Amino acid sequence: MLRKIKGFTYLKPFTVSEAISLLDEYNGKAKILAGGTDLLIQMKQRTQNPEYVIDIKNIPELGNITYDENEGLSIGPLATYTALASSPVVREKFGLLADAAFAVGSPQIQNRGTVAGNLCNASPSADTAPALIALNAQLKLVSMKGERIVSVEEFFVGPFKTILKDTEILAEILIPNVPLHSGGSYLWLPKIITAVDETLVGVGALITVDDMKNKICTEARIGLGSVAPTPIRAKKAGESLKGKRIENGLFEQAGVIASTEALPRSRAEYRSEMIKVFVKRALNRALERIR
Amino acid sequence: MVNYFAVGEPIPRVDAVEKVTGRAIYGNDLFFANMLYGKALRSPYAHAKIVNIDVTKAQRLPGVKAIVTGKDNPGLGGEALKDYPFLAVDKVRYVGEPVAAVAAVDEETAEEALDVIAVEYEQLPAVLDPLTAMKPDAPLIHEALHTYQHIPVIKPIEHTNICHHVQFLKGDMDQGFAESDVIFEDTFTTQMVHHGAIELHMAVAQVDPAGKITVWVTNDGPHRLRNDLAAVLKMPLSKIRVVSPPYMGGGFGGKGGLKVETLCIALALRSDERPVKMVLTREEVMTSSIVRHPSVVTLKTGVKKDGRLWVREARVVYDTGAYAEKGPTVCQQGSVAAAGPYKLKHVKVDGYCVYTNKAIAGAYRGYGIPQVAWAHESQMDIIAHELGIDPVKIRVMNAVEEGDISPTGQQVLHSVGLKECISRAAEHLGWEKKPDQKNRGRGIACGFKNTKTPSGSSAVVKVSQDGSVEILTSSIEAGQGPKTVLAQMAAEELGVPLDRITMVSPDTDVTPYDASTTSSRTTFHMGNAVKKAARDARDQLFAIAAPMLNVETGELRVEKGEIYVKNKPELRHSFAEVIKHQYGAGLDIIGRSSFYPVVQRETGGMWSAPSIFWMFGAHCVEVEVDPETGQVKVLKAIGAHDVGKVINPITCEGQIEGGLVHGIGPALYEEMLIGPKGEVQNTSLLDYKICRVLDVPEITPLIVEATHRDGPYGAKGIGEMTVVPTASAVANAIYDAIGVRIKDLPITPERILNALREKELNK
Amino acid sequence: MQKIINVIVNGEFYEVSVKSNMTLLDFLRDKLGLTGTKGGCETGACGACTVLLEGKPVNSCLVFAVEAHGKDILTVEGLAENGQLHPLQEAFVSEGAVQCGYCTPGMLLSAKALLDGNPNPTETEVKEAIAGNLCRCTGYVKIVKAILVAAEKMRRRN
Repeated sequence: MLRKIKGFTYLKPFTVSEAISLLDEYNGKAKILAGGTDLLIQMKQRTQNPEYVIDIKNIPELGNITYDENEGLSIGPLATYTALASSPVVREKFGLLADAAFAVGSPQIQNRGTVAGNLCNASPSADTAPALIALNAQLKLVSMKGERIVSVEEFFVGPFKTILKDTEILAEILIPNVPLHSGGSYLWLPKIITAVDETLVGVGALITVDDMKNKICTEARIGLGSVAPTPIRAKKAGESLKGKRIENGLFEQAGVIASTEALPRSRAEYRSEMIKVFVKRALNRALERIR
Repeated sequence: MVNYFAVGEPIPRVDAVEKVTGRAIYGNDLFFANMLYGKALRSPYAHAKIVNIDVTKAQRLPGVKAIVTGKDNPGLGGEALKDYPFLAVDKVRYVGEPVAAVAAVDEETAEEALDVIAVEYEQLPAVLDPLTAMKPDAPLIHEALHTYQHIPVIKPIEHTNICHHVQFLKGDMDQGFAESDVIFEDTFTTQMVHHGAIELHMAVAQVDPAGKITVWVTNDGPHRLRNDLAAVLKMPLSKIRVVSPPYMGGGFGGKGGLKVETLCIALALRSDERPVKMVLTREEVMTSSIVRHPSVVTLKTGVKKDGRLWVREARVVYDTGAYAEKGPTVCQQGSVAAAGPYKLKHVKVDGYCVYTNKAIAGAYRGYGIPQVAWAHESQMDIIAHELGIDPVKIRVMNAVEEGDISPTGQQVLHSVGLKECISRAAEHLGWEKKPDQKNRGRGIACGFKNTKTPSGSSAVVKVSQDGSVEILTSSIEAGQGPKTVLAQMAAEELGVPLDRITMVSPDTDVTPYDASTTSSRTTFHMGNAVKKAARDARDQLFAIAAPMLNVETGELRVEKGEIYVKNKPELRHSFAEVIKHQYGAGLDIIGRSSFYPVVQRETGGMWSAPSIFWMFGAHCVEVEVDPETGQVKVLKAIGAHDVGKVINPITCEGQIEGGLVHGIGPALYEEMLIGPKGEVQNTSLLDYKICRVLDVPEITPLIVEATHRDGPYGAKGIGEMTVVPTASAVANAIYDAIGVRIKDLPITPERILNALREKELNK
Repeated sequence: MQKIINVIVNGEFYEVSVKSNMTLLDFLRDKLGLTGTKGGCETGACGACTVLLEGKPVNSCLVFAVEAHGKDILTVEGLAENGQLHPLQEAFVSEGAVQCGYCTPGMLLSAKALLDGNPNPTETEVKEAIAGNLCRCTGYVKIVKAILVAAEKMRRRN
């Protein structure tokens, strides 16, 4: 039942080191507040009852989206969905991530919610996760003890569960450049038709070919959302495309393989069918976008 | 042709400026000094005995001022059948039923108090399916059904879960089927859906030192509520005051009856004269207000080869949940329309209203008719395709007309614009020219809707000394526009500009009786009352003015707040001058009227079936189906509605547009999911899907006017009819697009894919 | 725990002590008495509580009041200037975009944010801008129309 939110102490660090030292001090009793679009609901549901809420919005460098030709893209934990979806560099070079950011919630949620928060909340249906999986994104986790870098898929351990420790902060999302002749897409099936609706099946796909004439697939990465306890990489489906010339039926087959890699719970039969359809469609869209 | 200056004009709503500036006051905006906040503890079980409730810990919490449980229940309430306790007594009958309530100094404290109230339950077998609940061996939900008071027309079946069985019979069924060329039999089901008004339910109650109870509440029938409360509390009507906040944030039937108001009053009676405010959470609104009845409708229809409907037998089961609420009259009103708006020789309808251990079903825009329309309009399409007749033509061929006996035989129909609605909707879509694109299809459906009859409305029109006007009615402004439409009628009669008119918000101490703002009855009933009250005031002014102007009253006319002589318009006096002439020291002119129409009926009793007016309408839609995902997108929707006479085209179109979209939700997306324990599973607006703007097709509202002889300026109602034919129009369009027939709502992608698979197998 | 926050709401400066667990929605309604902002779902699903925070629409039920410290907020009460309705308000009145009115404040603010950044939106852009605002009465038809009418009026004015 939704309740009035329990009282807590509101903390407002101005640096990352201050934030992680607070996390360390209040080990397990504190929650990081970024956009709050998930946290406030959980606090109203009383599934989260932190004694301390650490608002990181006053740490300016955490909001940055930066691009480096060698290093790739870096996304700070305060970057909102709106910031991502409207960032020229994200739209141009990592278009599927802009698509995924647009898929999350309403304009109001997009203005407030953050990609990092989307990951930390670890909803199986988090829209940005399949896109980030397809982009081979890595996450930098920082605590007083130091930092570690993990891949997106190893970050998730179950529905609403991640490897993030109570004393750690997700400080940066790192996305390497995509190979030449690649195209990406994120397609999602909402529960109803509306774009702002919760995702029933989400597919992030990135496909790379040797050259535009030959169209031999050199790499294919497929991330799936909302069809397993966590967002997952459809490894076999991706592998199945490697080295093959792209022709009729190939993507359809990849969809069938992807559906065997998923473990949907509710509306399982329908979701399984829709993985097939949406993997095929996402790959087709990705192919169209290769430049 | 009469020329009106206010009636029929697209005048902007009189409340619009208040609403766009944020100044409009809704229930939750009411704050009182020294106010307490109420919260309810609700049952986690669908059916269980309450063994014990221990409130001692809660009583000890600082800030807790009152706690009530079932032992404080004053009696049983309910409009048609009195089965509803203020709080659960001895047993709970649905998940979400209130078992205790707390008033405290703030909401946090009240919530904490609920945490420490210990309730001991002993679970009982629950019945969730209405057809199972009808079986003789089903566990009884109301053992004492045979002892409950009810209005005469309601027929509970003792010692069963059937709280009302209604039958209508016209002609001879055996003969009808024997004479038929083809017989169709199909069963259709509808799901549980929620009104989804964006405003939450609320009430504030206070008891004064003399024991008079005042309740400020978002309830669509303040006088009906007062009647209900007085009966349960055994108090004189004059000792209960129901005040409506100026505006209700959407109702659609969901804000009537006894729900939050009863809990609030129970608490207020024990709160030392302090006001107690309760606002339901969205979750409580979903589980513990009311819902639309799920239904199972079986139609057996005999037709002639040429497409004429000949005989129809309908069996309608309404699942009313744990308490009757308005279920029995929903069943009554829905069953009478179950055969559809068609010329039929022989008709038999059996309607059942059945208790189950689920959320309570009650009034919801359409009042039982969307369920039966889903059935008869889907079957009409089945018949049309089977006989090879165009779906539009078969409807026009069978549609009732002026002077026909109603399908179930209660009355002679008047003001029947059905054929025009069907043909105009079809024509506007370009029915003859089928879409070229693959997987696109078109569907049509029509329907009719009655209004509760008899029912009364009174109005007072007060002309103050400066000639400005106040209109006192108990009609609720819930967005449908009565403040505007009634003001237009008064303006018309009094010849006063709209900005000189104030609509007084309902307050049973001040505004006179009205049955309720429901049943699409306000324009017709209250419209008549206001129109006549305004005439009464005008006539009183004429009586004063006539000797002033040296003419007979019959020669007088009104315009712009002045009275003038018809043939010598330069001879005129303002209302203010007229009033001052007679009452120099000051007095109001009070016009009054009451309107209580009755219909000649062949069967007896309250709301037994004949309706003072019937609304008619037809919807045409074009859809696109994605055969890979099963998703349906409604591309175009046209609603043609016979409103008798349009009073305000803007609000009228708004009703059609809103109703069309309100119908698309339950057709495709909306369903309250009930878990194995009888609990509503999707209790938030994140999980319960009402249409967003991106789901909305291109919409065209069309207004048809088949003037009603008793309507004000010929007007009838509109609000409910606009949701009636949508779902079947969508289903019929889906059939047209991909050749599959869905008989169960909502039309989910899974249902479409399964049907496509089945069609593939049967090839 | 109480915190003192400074906010500018509809151009007025406020310094108020609030509990850290108070939402911006409750703050506006209960502390400042600005009841034009409506609550409907408490979960960011209905958009009735939409206000502009630093010019961007947010669900005030999903923001703590303390997060608004030092920020600029616009609610429906601040839309009209010097007694003159905002063109959006005028269009909502004239086009019949208001029925029960409960979603109206949120709708207006989502629309305002759109037009502030995009004076010449397409119908699709209008729909996307108000996709987070539920309305159960109107079917959205006249709301979309009103926003387009207001946009045109504002363009002509400038």
